[in-house]
Amino acid sequence: MTFMAGKSLHANSLLRDTWLRLRCNTMAMATLTVLGIMVLLALLAPWIAPYAYADQNLALGATPPSWQHWAGTDPFGRDLLTRILYGSRISLAVGALATVVALIIGVLWGTVAGYVGGRVDAWMMRIVDILYALPFAIFIILLTVTFGRSLLLLFLAIGCVEWLTMARIVRGQVMSVRRLDYVAAAVLLGLPPWRIMAVHVIPNILGPVVVYATLTIPNVILLESFLSFLGLGVQPPGSSWGVLIAHGVETLEEYPWLLVWPALSLTVTLFCLNFLGDGLRDALDPRVATE
Amino acid sequence: MTTDAAPGPDSTRLLRVQDLSVAIRTRGHDQVVVDRIGFELDRGHTLGIVGESGSGKSVLCLGLLGLLPRPQVRIVRGNAWYRGLDLLAQPEPVLRPLRGNRISFVFQDPLSSLNPYLTVGAQLEEPLRVHHGTSRAEARDRALEALAEVGIREPGRRSGDYPHEFSGGMRQRVMIAMALITRPDILIADEPTTALDVTVQAQILALLRELQQRHGMAMIFVSHDLRVVSAIADEVLVMQAGHCVEAGSTRALFATPQAGYTRQLLDAVPQGHKSPSSSSPEHPLDPLLRVRHLGVTFPGHGKWFGTPPTPIAAIADVSLDIRPGEILGVVGETGSGKSTLARAIVRLVATEAGSVQVGQQDWSNLDAVALRRARRRVQMVFQDPYSSLNPRMTVHDCLAEAMSLERMLPAPELQQRIAGLLADVGLEASAAGRYPHEFSGGQRQRIAIARALAPEPDLIIADEPVSALDVTIQAQILELLLTLNRRRGLALLFISHDLSVIGYIADRVAVLYQGRLVELAETNTLFAAPAHEYTRALLAAMPPAIQPAPARG
Repeated sequence: MTFMAGKSLHANSLLRDTWLRLRCNTMAMATLTVLGIMVLLALLAPWIAPYAYADQNLALGATPPSWQHWAGTDPFGRDLLTRILYGSRISLAVGALATVVALIIGVLWGTVAGYVGGRVDAWMMRIVDILYALPFAIFIILLTVTFGRSLLLLFLAIGCVEWLTMARIVRGQVMSVRRLDYVAAAVLLGLPPWRIMAVHVIPNILGPVVVYATLTIPNVILLESFLSFLGLGVQPPGSSWGVLIAHGVETLEEYPWLLVWPALSLTVTLFCLNFLGDGLRDALDPRVATE
Repeated sequence: MTTDAAPGPDSTRLLRVQDLSVAIRTRGHDQVVVDRIGFELDRGHTLGIVGESGSGKSVLCLGLLGLLPRPQVRIVRGNAWYRGLDLLAQPEPVLRPLRGNRISFVFQDPLSSLNPYLTVGAQLEEPLRVHHGTSRAEARDRALEALAEVGIREPGRRSGDYPHEFSGGMRQRVMIAMALITRPDILIADEPTTALDVTVQAQILALLRELQQRHGMAMIFVSHDLRVVSAIADEVLVMQAGHCVEAGSTRALFATPQAGYTRQLLDAVPQGHKSPSSSSPEHPLDPLLRVRHLGVTFPGHGKWFGTPPTPIAAIADVSLDIRPGEILGVVGETGSGKSTLARAIVRLVATEAGSVQVGQQDWSNLDAVALRRARRRVQMVFQDPYSSLNPRMTVHDCLAEAMSLERMLPAPELQQRIAGLLADVGLEASAAGRYPHEFSGGQRQRIAIARALAPEPDLIIADEPVSALDVTIQAQILELLLTLNRRRGLALLFISHDLSVIGYIADRVAVLYQGRLVELAETNTLFAAPAHEYTRALLAAMPPAIQPAPARG
């Protein structure tokens, strides 16, 4: 086995043991299953959706849930279940992608700032402060104006805003981990800084990061609806959960089901994410005894 | 003293504890942590309770006054009478006026036992005003009196200060003043000097003895340190895992210990000095480590627009050599710069002045990459075995990383070498698959030593490696370090605040005082004829050596 193989060994035992511990957590596994089904449904939407998402039936109008339309129809006579299925594609994608972007930038930025410290830290965090001060909407509008409107860009743009808080959380955690003796021991072993950060620092700060990441996903999903409302996101007749909920709120008194079903989908997703986040946090920590 | 006295309330005794058992409930099971302990205590007497961590000595004391966190921890059997009053049967309203009034406590950590938001004076007056209804003016007078009694100068001015403005020793004096201000019958002191420097410890012990004689109170003195107990107690109770393994008068117990565990404890106390080893200074070996005029300064706290920060010199002008295979002890009190010195040598902190040379290589002006390569020759073992191992790495991964940086090892050979390393530090090969939290403090320290050995260094810097460990474990780790030193010819820089540990392990001793090296001499010379005033003060403050038990036939 070479040195490279030795390195993958560390990663293996951390990931493998994390997975083994997660498997013992019934609640986390159950929520993981539910999330998996939702992702599957979103991927298969074009094939399993009962109607086409843009098909209007003005004569039908808004109808409550029935055997033909399980979740009811909207004022244009469009099938709500179909629109929720198609909407989940956008919402889950934006949630996952933007959070991953935020996670990667935030963890790297925060770790480097917290670990290197001194002037580097001061400059890196001032940049974060400045970006924080920029109004979010203006930032996104600038981006879309510059690079043109595309959904992928929108996801990236949201991620580029959400990483700021992540970076601050990570930096604080790293600063306290950096002072521990096992980091000093790693320095004395002559390990290069990137390796100390990757093997000794980041695994020990993942707990709060994972929890914050699961809280970021709902934020991002709702942000998308806000941007769509401004005309920067999903355009009609496309849909996302955020858009559906926003429309549902407008017609809450006349057609309550238009709010209930999209909101329920979002709630179940967030519920699952929260449990999964807790489970992951525990599974990442070998000190937590699994039942 | 022992449990064979007639049962039943006995009002002539100040405190009488019989058959006391305490259990902790975890996951539905009762685990007995104090098992049928009994003792008696009279006015003016001191009972020492000795035991290692987890032996139940603190739980026993807290249990007497109903301070256990119920319902998880509770007394399952036994009795305790205070002047004929059955303490365990009393409800909280009866106990409250006793606590901190008739029976007072002094805890180990004076910083966390004092309220940081109240002045010391206010905290001293509180027990008087609560328990005795003393008027404000009189309470204030009594508080000043109490502060003066425990040797705090200018009590009038100091009583207006907050706890953080006192040093550790002074804070413990304040705690004692607070405990004694109500003139208690019994003072329970739970490791009152463990967190203190040795010279301060000697002062506090003398103060306790003096106050006890003056007021004629009884004292229960809990400690893990046999020497301290032997210096202060009339009678001793030795606890192990909740049991009383031996009890008796201090003199008899230390002279002729009966229980095997007591002997083990006594043997574990490092005694005597190391005679110069084969690698003694006459050998004309080139020094392995050469430190010259080393200085470290920390930036002080300045104000934003005010005066520039005044730098604080942590260590200044320290020069020393370590020869191959030698053990150099560094001794000093809190704040003397011991740890800074260790970290400056391995360049974990930036140095202000001076040079560090390892072998033929001058470390002072190496660039980052060269330093990384050089570093493996000098490794460190840290004080706290709980923060010195990465909690998310198995022992195998930890040692493999320490070992296989430049080498390309096939997996079976790696396994074998890890098993070999673990065997060297006295651990089973099966330890490799486990995580640090599955080990005890002593075992973790062994893993940390194995990690330090893995890159095959020439020198290990051990920064208080046994200070966080129980005395029997401490003896094992010292033995391990000595074996490694002999077998591998490994040089050690051994840092400790404990002169007896240093005397036991080191060939030569360097004494650090306020960041400066005040004396550097061979161990025997230093103990026999200390040259510097501060060294003499340190030696005088050492608790007296326990008379070694006579040979047992």
